[in-house]
Amino acid sequence: MGFQKHDDWDDLAGHFVAEAGRSDAGHVMWLNRNITKNKSDRKTLSKLLAGFFDLGSRGLESWVKRRFIEKFYGQSPHPFVVALQHPSRATLLGYVVEHQHFLRQWVRSCSFIMARTDEMEVVLYELDNINTEYGGVGTGQPSHYELLLRMGESLGLDRQKAFRMAPLEDTREAIRVWDMICQNDHWVEGLAAMHGLELIANRKLRSEGASIGYFDPMILKNEEISKEVKAFLREGYEADVGHSEQALGLVEKYSKVFGNVDDVQATFLRSIDYFDRYLMARLERSRQF
Amino acid sequence: MKVAEKGCAICQATWGDYWEEIQGQRMFFCCDICAIEFKNMINEVKKKTGWKKIDEIKMTGNYRGRECTALYDGKRYSFNIRFDSKGGIDAFSERV
Repeated sequence: MGFQKHDDWDDLAGHFVAEAGRSDAGHVMWLNRNITKNKSDRKTLSKLLAGFFDLGSRGLESWVKRRFIEKFYGQSPHPFVVALQHPSRATLLGYVVEHQHFLRQWVRSCSFIMARTDEMEVVLYELDNINTEYGGVGTGQPSHYELLLRMGESLGLDRQKAFRMAPLEDTREAIRVWDMICQNDHWVEGLAAMHGLELIANRKLRSEGASIGYFDPMILKNEEISKEVKAFLREGYEADVGHSEQALGLVEKYSKVFGNVDDVQATFLRSIDYFDRYLMARLERSRQF
Repeated sequence: MKVAEKGCAICQATWGDYWEEIQGQRMFFCCDICAIEFKNMINEVKKKTGWKKIDEIKMTGNYRGRECTALYDGKRYSFNIRFDSKGGIDAFSERV
């Protein structure tokens, strides 16, 4: 989804009405899940869309969080998050196999953002993020990627075997979309598309309306769960509050500078749709274990 | 077969204009994915129950998961179902 004309809700509504008229699944499903299931005329839909994209008085960061919570932590939380509350070995191994592909794309996406911005604070943010997620700092602070592989090994999945497992279709499609966003769209859109996803492990969302957290933190005290699993989950638990909120602050700031707030909103929504499917792929993979 | 009174036979949306004939009945769907989901669901219920046809499907829930009851010849079969992004069955469990 993208805006052909900025701030022109009537034009966007006309586009949706036309696409829904020919039963295009992507557009119809998006309307059903985000706006209304009731077929509406262009004028009515225009008002509904304007309301959906309205930032209100609290700004873009708050809007992004609200939409993310609705999708993943609303009345019907995402099935992967439900499974992760008290995860089985199979759920965690599904996580390991698909997430290794996600993280390899992650570092590419962050690198594209760095390569395309002139803003030093954005470069420094991405460098720190890449180190945490992928590079690590010496032997004392392994990366999220390394912790993921160790979690798999603690559950009996050799990392060489994990490397040989190709991504499932939904993971592959999502990776392609994130690659294209970060290569071709404005870097502020890429920043929102990628780092908005780190909200998934932001434990502060509970105080902002999320129905549950990414996992039940009590499992970090469960003696039946390996120390490698705890190390992996704890790392995200501790890092992703800062990662997501710092990035959303940069998105808020630079979307105003470049005047592309509505493009950022549209790209973020596209990214979380593919993230939803990617999380389903983790569950699909878990059924192989 | 009796389905939801209003809109798409899967999600009750009134957007779209997609029609398919199922069990000899012309049925409305909002999109081709919902039609695929419906056909997969019907086939799975027939496979699990051995029924040749279904008289009615009752559904609640949303795309994250649906609670359903199929009826045929005075018999009931209750199940939970979730679909993948292409309309395939991602999870199916019988409800007692």
